[in-house]
Amino acid sequence: MIKLLKYLTCFSLLITLLQAEENKPTLVVYTYDSFAASWGPAPKVKEAFEKTCNCNLKFVSTSSSITALRKIQLEGSNTKADVLLGLDKSSAGIARNTNLFINHNIDTSKLDLPVKWKDKEFLPYDYGYFAFVYDSLKTKKVPKSFDELLLMPKNFKIIIQDPRSSTPGLGLLLWIKKIYGENADAYWKELSPRILTVTKGWSEAYGLFLKGEADMVLSYTTSPAYHIIAENKTNYKTANFKEGHYGQVEVSGILKSSKQKKLAKQFLEFTNSETFADIIPTTNWLYPVVTTKKGLPKEFSSLEPASKMLLLEDDDIEKNRKKYQNEWLNAIK
Amino acid sequence: MPLNSIYRFRLSLIPGGLLSILLLFLAFAIFFILFSNIDNKDFFSSIITSRIFDLVRFTVYQALLSTLFSILLGTVLAWALTHQNSFKSRSYLIALLSSSLILPTLIVVFGIITVLGQNGWLNRALLYLFDYSFENSIYGLSGILIAHVYLNASFVARSLLHVFESIPKERYKLAKSLNFSTIQRFRYIEFPAIKLSLRSISSTIFLLCFTSFAIVLTLGGSPSYNTLEVAIYEAIKIDFDIPLALKLAFIQLSITIVLVFLSANFKVGISDIKTSTQKIPWLETKKLRILQISIILFSSILFILPLVSILIDGLGANFIKIFSDIVFIESFITSLIIASISSILTVLFALLISDTRRNFNINHRIKKTKFRSFINMIIAFSGNIYLAIPSLILGLGFFLLSLKFEAPLSYWAFGSVLCANILMSLPFALSILYPPMANVAQRYDKLSFSLNLKGSKRWLYCEWPYIKSSVLYVFALSFCLSLGDLGVIALFGSDEISTLPWYLYNLMGSYQTKDAAGVALILLILTLSVFIFLPRIFTRKKDV
Repeated sequence: MIKLLKYLTCFSLLITLLQAEENKPTLVVYTYDSFAASWGPAPKVKEAFEKTCNCNLKFVSTSSSITALRKIQLEGSNTKADVLLGLDKSSAGIARNTNLFINHNIDTSKLDLPVKWKDKEFLPYDYGYFAFVYDSLKTKKVPKSFDELLLMPKNFKIIIQDPRSSTPGLGLLLWIKKIYGENADAYWKELSPRILTVTKGWSEAYGLFLKGEADMVLSYTTSPAYHIIAENKTNYKTANFKEGHYGQVEVSGILKSSKQKKLAKQFLEFTNSETFADIIPTTNWLYPVVTTKKGLPKEFSSLEPASKMLLLEDDDIEKNRKKYQNEWLNAIK
Repeated sequence: MPLNSIYRFRLSLIPGGLLSILLLFLAFAIFFILFSNIDNKDFFSSIITSRIFDLVRFTVYQALLSTLFSILLGTVLAWALTHQNSFKSRSYLIALLSSSLILPTLIVVFGIITVLGQNGWLNRALLYLFDYSFENSIYGLSGILIAHVYLNASFVARSLLHVFESIPKERYKLAKSLNFSTIQRFRYIEFPAIKLSLRSISSTIFLLCFTSFAIVLTLGGSPSYNTLEVAIYEAIKIDFDIPLALKLAFIQLSITIVLVFLSANFKVGISDIKTSTQKIPWLETKKLRILQISIILFSSILFILPLVSILIDGLGANFIKIFSDIVFIESFITSLIIASISSILTVLFALLISDTRRNFNINHRIKKTKFRSFINMIIAFSGNIYLAIPSLILGLGFFLLSLKFEAPLSYWAFGSVLCANILMSLPFALSILYPPMANVAQRYDKLSFSLNLKGSKRWLYCEWPYIKSSVLYVFALSFCLSLGDLGVIALFGSDEISTLPWYLYNLMGSYQTKDAAGVALILLILTLSVFIFLPRIFTRKKDV
């Protein structure tokens, strides 16, 4: 009997505790899987943000940020999402056209980005540059530009991702478009024999590269940092292209349907804070958008700095994405 | 009471019949909810470009070739294994044969690449020995074919082995006394026995290759080697053009539906009850033995090397880190729970559906009429239709249903993963379980009616001894299929539920390829142990 009473008291205590938790508002953030993973930024971000907001932060993960957007669209007005985090700037236009997002009204003038930020709906939280990664133990001579890439020996192979299903894949498509303009499909035609395979996503491509299947893989300039910090390997490097590197800027936005817009805005501001910026480099392996007192991990200084960030206009991308993709499909056949 | 009185088997009609109706209804509901979400006008105006025709052509082409090669290799291997049935590690080899179909495809693809890729073992060995290496050998159509044959030939071999072994030994004796040659033996004894299974297995494999996705993308090498499934993916995920996706799904359905009918194996030979475990009374000539042994050796190497590479890659993982990750433990437990429930339900459903269906296939139960064949077809169709529905459409359908009928998300997530897993393994389960069950009824109905053996007693004494090995195989197969399936979670993801393959893909997506290889190894070990130990547990019980 006493035991039973004990259990009952414990139980009621638990209930009250849970209720106290429930009284706090919960902010729901839809994002992609590697952000929400236990080794990704999400757990640390949650801990840090919950200290300041008197709220619960909940990440809901999907296989990609674009899937998260589709999920929100399908859920319509019933969506539980307050914030969508993780879209690349190049695909932000798709989200803009859904008219599901409101202006963030956050001052972006102090951001430390290679480009001036003008987007009123989407706020950046980290960025990087697309680049070809190679293994310096295996590949001694690497191209220094897209033109040089064509001049490499016949057996020099690269692995890329499909622009229809992957962010880096789309990045490369736009990168080449930015440099070659109208002649982009001619370039792709010439590049085609060098492409070992086109994969669905980054994971497959990078996995194949680590198996030694090709000389270079399309990834990020910051990829070598992972190998240095987590694996103590310094042989992975990126090929610095003199034309500049296409940029990936990851953004977040507040849903129109959110019932906690103030809290959502607070979260977006948090993604531009120093606390957040210190979490990003070694969990998401990209650059934060603000400089911090602590600075970047020292291993980041050994990375090849990109000479210039290349970007196309958002309008151009949204209007012509399908056209560019079809051009690519026809050129690479 | 006459033998064909409906009263005798009325109980076997209802549960399976209801299940069939439910399955058909679910398929209908999924398409209905997708339709109700779009404008009718959009559906008819969405454009089918010439690229899609190219896709269809290529999809059919690669699926045909893949099926042909898988069937050839699988049949030859099953034939060799049938006649070489006494070597030591035979049972392990058979367990290994089962594992390739059920590992997550991406792991298998990586295993194949480790062996046959640019920097693979074969190329490195060639380079070392002869200073020569293949260029681009695996990427392209050949890569797709190799991977498909790898995945499916072992399934063909495994399923045909059952059929080969159940050929009554008396026939071999007779053939021997008639002085048949090996070719005659195959033509007059073995081929008639496997013919029907061959048809259903090859259409199943064609469907699997037709809807193949990850393999075609990774090993195809170029976007011109894409399948319809990829176009559906693109339409749903990238363009969010659900009308187009639906239209594509219908194209896929209409092409595959013929095969779904074929794969449902309507007629069943009467002879494939496993008669005895005694050896085939036929000593092979020396030449033939060498041929058979080399076939077995060659296929063993083909099937085992990629698995060995998974083992070697996996050993490099940091297992302490993996096992101390709470998400891993959760995924591990969820995967086991889902696999257990879905395999038990799959076996149960397959038994009930087969029990109902055999009424419509056996002349002494219901007289042969057009109506009977029609019902038979519908029931068979209901279990196989999900082979032809793209998993993305299925996932999207479940997701829309979850929006319509509110319930806690975790229930929906769990339910839809479970449901998808059952739907996925049901066609396999039916194709394995139905033939022996139909045969048991054909042979022993009269006997059990005259002995008044009914209900559970009939199941226990009459059916179980004959279907036991098939039931165990179905159980193991569906357990592992759902263990390795990324399935519907992959579509809209969820933090409510995480499974091992999902965890693995997450690791791969964030540079942790090594630990992903470790998780792949864990999956491989789980799969193999289910196939090796499950039959043993049951045989031991019998000994006691």
